[in-house]
Amino acid sequence: MRRLSTAYAPVAAVIVAVVAVLVWFLPSYYTGLLTLIGIYALVTIGLNVFMGYAGQVSLGQAAFVGIGAYTSAVLSVKLHLTPWLGALAGAAAAALVAFALSFIVLRLRENLLALATLALGIVINVVFNEWDFIGGSSGFKGIPGFALGAYVFDQRAYAILAWVLVGVGIWFAGNVVQSTYGRALIAISSGELGAQALGVNSEGLRRQAFVLSAVYAGIAGAVYASSFTYIDPTSFGFLLSVNFVLMAVIGGLRSLWGAVIGAAIVVALGQILQTVIPLVLPGARGDFQSFFLGVILVAMLILMPRGLTSRFASDAQA
Amino acid sequence: MTAALWQYILGGVVDGAIFALVAAGFVLIYQVTGIINLAQGEFVMIGGMTAAALTTGGMPLVGAAAIAVALAAAAGGLTYLLAIRPARGGTALTLLFITLGVDVALRGLALFVWGTNPYSLPPFSAGNAIVIFGGALPPQALWVLGTDALVFAALYLFFRHTRVGTAVRAAVANPPIASTFGIPLRTFAFGSFVVAAAIGGLGGVVITPIPGVQYDAGLTYGLAGFVSAVLGGIDSLPGALLGGFTLGIVEHVAAGLLSPGWDQGLGFLILLLVLVVRPQGLLGRAARRA
Repeated sequence: MRRLSTAYAPVAAVIVAVVAVLVWFLPSYYTGLLTLIGIYALVTIGLNVFMGYAGQVSLGQAAFVGIGAYTSAVLSVKLHLTPWLGALAGAAAAALVAFALSFIVLRLRENLLALATLALGIVINVVFNEWDFIGGSSGFKGIPGFALGAYVFDQRAYAILAWVLVGVGIWFAGNVVQSTYGRALIAISSGELGAQALGVNSEGLRRQAFVLSAVYAGIAGAVYASSFTYIDPTSFGFLLSVNFVLMAVIGGLRSLWGAVIGAAIVVALGQILQTVIPLVLPGARGDFQSFFLGVILVAMLILMPRGLTSRFASDAQA
Repeated sequence: MTAALWQYILGGVVDGAIFALVAAGFVLIYQVTGIINLAQGEFVMIGGMTAAALTTGGMPLVGAAAIAVALAAAAGGLTYLLAIRPARGGTALTLLFITLGVDVALRGLALFVWGTNPYSLPPFSAGNAIVIFGGALPPQALWVLGTDALVFAALYLFFRHTRVGTAVRAAVANPPIASTFGIPLRTFAFGSFVVAAAIGGLGGVVITPIPGVQYDAGLTYGLAGFVSAVLGGIDSLPGALLGGFTLGIVEHVAAGLLSPGWDQGLGFLILLLVLVVRPQGLLGRAARRA
């Protein structure tokens, strides 16, 4: 099965360049949204490797974002380490937790795997809430920003950083999914027994894909913590995990660009609905948008279960 | 200490009763269709919200409760007709995500209709707290437990002693063969959604006088019911009963002894344990489906 593009690197570079130019013209509010899209896209790219290519499911991905964010925040606030190290440590912590937990949750498949990851996400969120050392329910304030020498990152720099990470993330994931390794992942998703019969170490590969998705989430979390300077447990709840699934499904589970498109659409749609709904339905509150997000998720799965990018993919295949 | 523990356990029994009803909905739908319906908790919310809003508006309780259950059942039927049936043939994960979408959509709709204010219902019967061995139960708890008894007895009688119930069991045991004998699988699938939603809605009506209800209450009920169902065994109605009460008691004792924040956390930890040690649940048969 061939995917969208064999040339991830050039397109990724172009996207980063476009963002780098855009941030000088956009009002700061939109620059912030651009950063958020980048951060979510990064998580969704990782999630797509695990869900789309390897055919697994995670309803607890927000927890790994939280682990990355909290690790980086603790290191930079309490130990005054630079967030650069914090991001690395965040990725490592998320990877470590994912690795350890994989021995429990990856014994399960499909529905039960969904339930187990959902449970993990909630348990980890309870830990965020109850552990006073990391701020408990009030969270962390005043998380230091990224800096290069004397230059402390501003909003524009964060948008560029987020999208550089998206570019690198796509490039790396692109190489992964097009390698033998990626083909083995796809083999697992089309039938685990068959894949095993062909000599694929499905246990190990599923674990590696899970850990890889946690690394993406951990880095994204660290960038989130520093760019918003404030985190608390509610930032990484079940609903964020649902949103990641929504982004992955809308874009197309087996497409890395789909992750970016899905993240952009979900964030943009949220913004549009927040402004449009009150105009049309004066009584409605902003959160009413979740109704439409739910309906869109259902409609997508019925009409285009392979996501928006599936149209392009089938063209490329021809 | 033991008095406090006993009180936590009694509190857990009340929560367990509603968890068991939600779990019964999960089991019904899973048995008949193979789908885990993550929107199950929203039917509890719809039942509770509708009854509370109507009685607040001055309607007598019986009428409000009947409308609430009917509305929840209609929501269940529509979920099947609009979201599940058009996607039949989708993978298990596609269907799971669809129910997740329905869950999010129903919560958003409830927010639009009822806003963020909490609603409450007066207890169905007046009277003092019932004291059992020094622990207190609110009188409403009897209504909740009574509903459990009625619903589970009705389900038992239906499945064991009616022709239709036997046909449903045949459809669960072997869908293709049941189908060749003229058993209408799709009608049963539709029916399982309607009945599961009605049970959830009824649970919402009877539980609401105790904790109150608001638009996002369904998520908690849904997750707890889901955990209960898996704890007890997703293919077992007695398991739903056992799982519900186990989870309710564990959560209350944990919240009392540790800290209120830990109740959900501990419930899910136990769930993880069960999934690893005994994935088919306490009373479930060895897994037929993944």
